[in-house]
Amino acid sequence: MPTVLLLDTSLSMSRPVPSSDSSENHTRLTIASAAINTFLDYLSVHAKLEYVSLVTFSSSYEVSIPFTREYDNIRAKLPLLEEGDKTCIEAALLGVNQLILNEWGYQTPVQIVLVTDGTFGAGPIRRNQIIQALPLPPTFPVRISILPIVTPNDHSLQQAMPLYQKIIDLASNQNCSMGNILRGAIYCPDQLNVPGAITAMSRLCEQQYQEFWCSLKCGQLEARVQLFPAPQPASHEGLSATYTISHQLHVIGFLSQQDLGTPIALSKHLIIPQAQSNNSNNNRENFGSKTPTKEGSSTDGSTDEDNISDPSKVPNFCVLLHGALKVEGMAAVVQLGSDWWGTVSAWCEASRARRSCLLLSVLRPGASAAPWLGALDQLGPIDETATNPETFPVRSWRSYSGGGSGCAWARPHALLADVQKVLRHARKLPDKTQHLYKELNRLRRAAISLGFSELLTCVGSALERECAALGGSAPPECSLQLAHAAAALRDPRTALDIKHTLQPLAPEFTVASMSH
Amino acid sequence: MFPTNHKTIFVLDHTPYFGISSDYPIDFDVSKSRGPGYVPLPPICKSLWTCSVEAAVEYCRVVWDLFPEGKLVRFIVSDAAAHILNTWAVAQQNLTHILNGLCLVGPVRRGAGGDVVGLCAAIESLAEPSPTQSSRPPTESHFQNRGRIICITSARDDDSIRSLAEIAMNTLVQQNKKASAIQPPTTTDASTSTQSLVVHYCHLVIINVTPEKAETRVNNQPLTEMGGGLMGVEVIVCRASSLANLLGKLVLPHYRLAVTTVTGIPMKEEQNASSSANYDVDIIHSAEAHAGLRASQTAAEANESVVLRWWTPRGAEGGAGGCNGPLWRVTPADVASRPSACLVNFLLNGRSVTLEVPTRKAGCRSASHVLAAQGGELWIGALGGRTPYDDPPALSEGAGGRVTDYRIKEFGALMQQNKVHPLRGTGANARARTKLQRHTTYWPLTISSTLIFNLGSVMEPLTRLVVQESLTEDEVDSCRGVLLSLLGMESRHEFPTAQLPSNLRGKSSGRREEQWRQVWGELEALIRAHSASPAHRALLRTLLECRSHNHSAEGESSRATVIRATTDSPLSPVGAGNGNSNDVWAPRNALDALLGAPRPPRRPDFAGRMAAGSRPATLYSHLQQDVEAQN
Repeated sequence: MPTVLLLDTSLSMSRPVPSSDSSENHTRLTIASAAINTFLDYLSVHAKLEYVSLVTFSSSYEVSIPFTREYDNIRAKLPLLEEGDKTCIEAALLGVNQLILNEWGYQTPVQIVLVTDGTFGAGPIRRNQIIQALPLPPTFPVRISILPIVTPNDHSLQQAMPLYQKIIDLASNQNCSMGNILRGAIYCPDQLNVPGAITAMSRLCEQQYQEFWCSLKCGQLEARVQLFPAPQPASHEGLSATYTISHQLHVIGFLSQQDLGTPIALSKHLIIPQAQSNNSNNNRENFGSKTPTKEGSSTDGSTDEDNISDPSKVPNFCVLLHGALKVEGMAAVVQLGSDWWGTVSAWCEASRARRSCLLLSVLRPGASAAPWLGALDQLGPIDETATNPETFPVRSWRSYSGGGSGCAWARPHALLADVQKVLRHARKLPDKTQHLYKELNRLRRAAISLGFSELLTCVGSALERECAALGGSAPPECSLQLAHAAAALRDPRTALDIKHTLQPLAPEFTVASMSH
Repeated sequence: MFPTNHKTIFVLDHTPYFGISSDYPIDFDVSKSRGPGYVPLPPICKSLWTCSVEAAVEYCRVVWDLFPEGKLVRFIVSDAAAHILNTWAVAQQNLTHILNGLCLVGPVRRGAGGDVVGLCAAIESLAEPSPTQSSRPPTESHFQNRGRIICITSARDDDSIRSLAEIAMNTLVQQNKKASAIQPPTTTDASTSTQSLVVHYCHLVIINVTPEKAETRVNNQPLTEMGGGLMGVEVIVCRASSLANLLGKLVLPHYRLAVTTVTGIPMKEEQNASSSANYDVDIIHSAEAHAGLRASQTAAEANESVVLRWWTPRGAEGGAGGCNGPLWRVTPADVASRPSACLVNFLLNGRSVTLEVPTRKAGCRSASHVLAAQGGELWIGALGGRTPYDDPPALSEGAGGRVTDYRIKEFGALMQQNKVHPLRGTGANARARTKLQRHTTYWPLTISSTLIFNLGSVMEPLTRLVVQESLTEDEVDSCRGVLLSLLGMESRHEFPTAQLPSNLRGKSSGRREEQWRQVWGELEALIRAHSASPAHRALLRTLLECRSHNHSAEGESSRATVIRATTDSPLSPVGAGNGNSNDVWAPRNALDALLGAPRPPRRPDFAGRMAAGSRPATLYSHLQQDVEAQN
C-alpha cells in the first residue's frame, strides 16, 4: 500500500545528540534520515512497487516529494530539508489526508509512517486539545506507525505516548468496510543513536511491510508468485470470522471475461511471477529446462547453464497463463481459501496498451460474492451434467418495475397512473377488452392485499360513468362489458377473494359468427 | 456479530380504529372535463390500514432489493390475535409471500383487540433464531441476538405509549428468562431446532399514526434506553398520508443506506417523442458508496441525497470495469415512476452510466460513480483514485518473460475444455479441480520442450483421449492404432518431425533415432501419468511392448535417462528421480497395487550411478582418468 513518510522537521529535531564518539555530530534529524534511508533500502529490496511520498511538517506541512517509486529522489532530498518551528501533528495529519484523498481516493489502504522526536511541544491540557482536533479516522483505510527518535526513558516521550497511542487507535478504528487492515504500532528505538533508530525502523518494516508469496496452481502446473500489494485479511459482515488468503491459490476453472463481468472485488493485486529457485523447487527446473530436446542435443549444454542463471529464459506458467487468458478473452476462477474466491485475468492499463499483466481480483468472502455467477462453490465442469446446463449470467428474480407486485401506491402518482390506465383501456373497447380485464385483475389483487376496498368501489363507478358516456355510435358490446366489469368489481360475494379473477363477458354470437 | 438490522419485525395494528379514513383525499380524476353532463368522480381516501401496509411493504422492498440475503423482515398483524405472516425462513422472505398473507388477513373488521398481542408475539419471534443464527453455536463470544421491532399503531396519549413500551419490556425480560432457563437442556439435546435465543438488544420503533386532521396527544420521543440497554424505544408521530415517506427515510439509517439523485437524465417525452426533457431519479444504495464524497461534505449534507449528474455515455467508454473497489446494489426510491423505469430499463439493457459531481466550473468534469447492470441487478461503483498497482513491471522482463514459444494456443484449448458453469449440488469445485489436475498431468509449457504435442494429426486421437478419466474399449483401440502407426513410421526410417511445418522442424533438430527416442519417452510419460484406470494401464502395456519391440538392449541406458527426464515433472513422486529410475511408477492407490497390475521387470540400474551411490554420477569419468594418466 502507498506510504506517506511524515517527517517532523520542527526545531526540536535539530537538537544535537550527545555522543561518545566526537567525530560524528548527529542531530535527531540526521538519525531520522538514516532511519528513513533504511526504510527505503528495505522497500527497494522487498516491495519496490510501493509508492512513497515524503511530507515534512512543523507548524505547517509541505509535500517534499510526491508519491514516487524513485526512492533516490527521497534520499537526495533528505539532507536538504530545512528546519521549521514547532511540532503541530494535527495540522500535518490534515494535510496528509488531503494529499491521500487527492491521489488515491478513499478506497486504497494507505500507510503513514510518522517520524518525530517524541515531543509534541506542550503539556497535558494541550495534549487533550490535540487529541480532540485530530482529523482521525480519515475516510480512507489507513495504518499509522510511529517512530519517535528519542531515548525510551525520556520524560517528554512519557508525555507524548498517550497521544501517539490515540493516533494509532483512531486510525485503525474506522468504519470503512474494506478497512480490515492490521494495526500500526509505536516503534521506539532502544537507544538514541543511528543503529538504534535503524533497528527500530527495520522492525517496523518487517512487521508492516510483509511481502506476500504464494503459489498459483492450475492442476499440476504451478508457479511461485508474489501478490502486490500484499492482500489484507477480510472479514464478513455478521460473521466474526476473518479470512486470510491461503498460500496456495488453486485454479478451479475458466470462464469468458464477458460472463465474469465486473466482480465485486474487495481489492486487486498484481500477480508477479518469480524465478523458480534451484533448491526449493528442483522438479520445476527439470521440467522447464532439462526437457527431452535439450537432453538429446549435446551442443545445448551451454544454454542450459544460461537458462538457470537467467530466470527470464526459464519457462514460467504465469506467462503462459497470461498469454492464453489474453488470447481467449477469458478469466480464471481461483480458490483463495475456504469459502473464498477470486478471479485472475489479463489486465492492461489503458494508457500502456502493451504492458499487460496478470491481475487477481479478490472477491468478498463467501459463495455469493458474484451473484450472476451463481453460488461460487457450485461452479464446476459441464460434461457431467450434459442435460440442459445453466448458462451465465445467473438471473436474479428481482423485477424493479414494481408492476409485478402492484403495491407501489405509496405515492399518489403511482395509483393515479394505474387507474388512468384502466380508464384508457375502458375507452378503447372492444379492441382492448383483454387488456382491460388484465389491468383490472392486477388492480384488484393489489387493492385486496392492501385492504383498499374503497378503490374498487371507486373504479367500479368510474367504469359505469364511462358506460354512460358512450356515444350512440359505440357498439353495444362496449356498454355490456363495462357494466359487467363494474358489477364484478363490486360483487360482494367475491370482493375479498384473491383467487377469483374477473372474466370478460362471454364472447357474443355476432363476434363468433364473424370469425367463421 | 448479527447487527440489529439482521432481524426486523413489523407489527401492524389491525384493530377497528385502523379502518377509518386517513382523510387525505386522492383525486384521480384529473382528465380534462369532457363536455357537459360529465360528473367528476369524488376523490377517495385510503384507510389507515392501507397506508400502514403499503408503507411497510415499501420498506421491505428496499431492504430485500438491496440485501437478498442476511437482512430478514417479518410481519405480524395484530388484532384480537397475532397473525404471523412469515417466518425467518429464506423462502418466506419475499414480497409475494407477504402480500398473499395480507390478502388472507383482509381489511379491518369489527371486533376487539389491540396492538399488545402482536408486540408480544414479535418479541417471541425475535427470540427465534434465523437460519444463519441457528447455523452457529450461540455460545460463541460474539454471538449477539439483536433486532428491531417497528410497531405501527395509534395510541390515545403518551401514557398509553409508555405502558405499551413497558409491556414490551416486561415480555422481553420474561422471554429472556425463559430462554436462559431452557438453555441447558437444549445444549444437551442439539437436535431441537426450535430453541429460543436470548435477545441481547431490541430497538422498538413505535409509530403513532393519525388521520390528517385528528388531534393527537402523543409526542415524539427520541431513542431512550430501557432496562439497562436491553431495549431502546423511539416514538414517532406521523400522519397516515406521510407514513410511506417516513418509513422511506427510516430505512436509510436502519441499513446504512444513502440516496443519490441522478440529475439531468435526458428522456423522450411520452406525448411528444421528438423533444426530450431532463429528469431526476432517486436511487438508494449502501452509504459506503458515498464515502469518497463525504470528505467534502458536512454532516448535515450527508443525510441529504447526493446529487450527481448523468454523463451521457459515448460508445463503449466507461463501464463498471473502471471501478477498482466494490460495487453496491442499487434500487430506485420510487419504482413506479416513469423516469425510474426508464433508467432501470436503460441499465438492464446492458448500458452503463457514468455519474459526475456537478461543478460550476466549465470544462472541468470529475466522474465519480458508475451505474451498471449485471445479472439482472443494478449496481453502483465508485470511481476515482489511482491504484497502487498501476504502472506494473513488464511481464517480459520477469521470470519466464523472454521465452517465446509457450504453447498458448493449446493452453487456450485446455481453458475452453475446463470452463466452469453454474451447477447445482456440492463438490462441483472439487470436480473441476480434479479435471484440471488430469488435463495437466503431462503438459510441457513450451513448444521446444515437446515433440508429441507438435506432431498434430499423427497423435490426434491419443493426446485427446488419454486425458479422460476412463477409456472405452474402442478408445483404447484407436490409441493403439496411433502407437502402431508411429511404430510403422519408425520402421520405415521416417523422421517423426516430417509431419511438422518446416519452421518447427528446424528447431527440433537432432538425429532421427534421438527424435524417436524422445517421442517414445514422452509418450510413456504421458500415458504413465494417466495410468490410473485399467484401460489406461492396458494402453501403457501396449506402449511398453512397442518400445521393447523396437529397441535392442544397446540403447538401454540412454533411454532410461530420457524416461527419467520426462517423468521428472512436478508430479513425480519423491524418489522417482533418485537411483531406481527404472521402476515403473504410476499414480495408483494401494488397492490397485495389491491387485497386482502387471509391471515390467526391473532392469539393472546405470552402472555409473550404482557406483556413485547417493552422489550424482559423473559421466565419462575415465576420460578424466586418462588425462591424469597422461600427465
